[in-house]
Amino acid sequence: MDMTPEQTVQAFLTAFQLGDVETAMSVVGGSVQADVFPLGVRAGGFDDLRGLLGEIVAAFPDLRVTVLNVIPTGSVVTVELKVEGTQARDYLGVVNQEKHLDLDEAWRFTVAAGRITAVGVYWCQGQLYRRLAVKRVDQIAIV
Amino acid sequence: MTTTDMTSRSRIAAQVVSDFFGAYRRHDIEAMVEKCTDNADFSYVPFELWGKQRVLRGDGKVRTIGKVIWTGLINSFPNLFNEVHSVDANEHGDVVVTCDIGGTQQIAWALAAPQGKKFREPHLFLFHVDESGLIDKVKAYWNNAGINTQLGHLEVD
Repeated sequence: MDMTPEQTVQAFLTAFQLGDVETAMSVVGGSVQADVFPLGVRAGGFDDLRGLLGEIVAAFPDLRVTVLNVIPTGSVVTVELKVEGTQARDYLGVVNQEKHLDLDEAWRFTVAAGRITAVGVYWCQGQLYRRLAVKRVDQIAIV
Repeated sequence: MTTTDMTSRSRIAAQVVSDFFGAYRRHDIEAMVEKCTDNADFSYVPFELWGKQRVLRGDGKVRTIGKVIWTGLINSFPNLFNEVHSVDANEHGDVVVTCDIGGTQQIAWALAAPQGKKFREPHLFLFHVDESGLIDKVKAYWNNAGINTQLGHLEVD
């Protein structure tokens, strides 16, 4: 019997919280549509999503992902979460200054037959830059 | 627009929120506020201004913080628009909306000086509609750096 959409998303989140990218991606469909709006990724795919999770896990070894709210609406499950950690290597082009990140995010998942088929990711890149001590959005590698 | 299979309560909640966005498109802030309870909570998560001794956030109540922000937005972007892509609701009164919001800047908005530039940015809104059919929570996420970049404001304030 297939998992409910909420159970599928919970499995993804639990693995993400543990930093286990491959297990998280095991509930993601191979033809998933990934929109990571802060990074300008529209209609991205499986590798884009896996790459994002891998970047986060690698850049913040003390990663803490706290699920704040889960809103199931049929096949769509929306999750509010907080991502926290201390930067330990360059992240999305931002030079590592060992700053602490705490970022509120919202992820909107679409699930079918126990697999995530679409995900839209929302956070404010301005808040991320501010916490990682970036001064200008067009010079993120200059400190 | 996609809409989930709906119970009566979810259908009403989705309609209330759709009407809210209709009022927003008409720039009818009073109508937007009238669709909310007197004490409705408001949170625009990316709205954050760092000062030397304090941080201002877009958190509070619809009738105080929300109304001020909506009024300021429409003043700064007289052709402000929203384009709703999906409305998903459940039997508990939760409503999730994806949309684009955009406009052309005419006067200063936050720390972005007007350069006559346009923006269009994806937003995710989370609402809760109570059993009387009024919105008692408005929360939104978006990438504010995306808006500022489109407006030509490149500093991270």
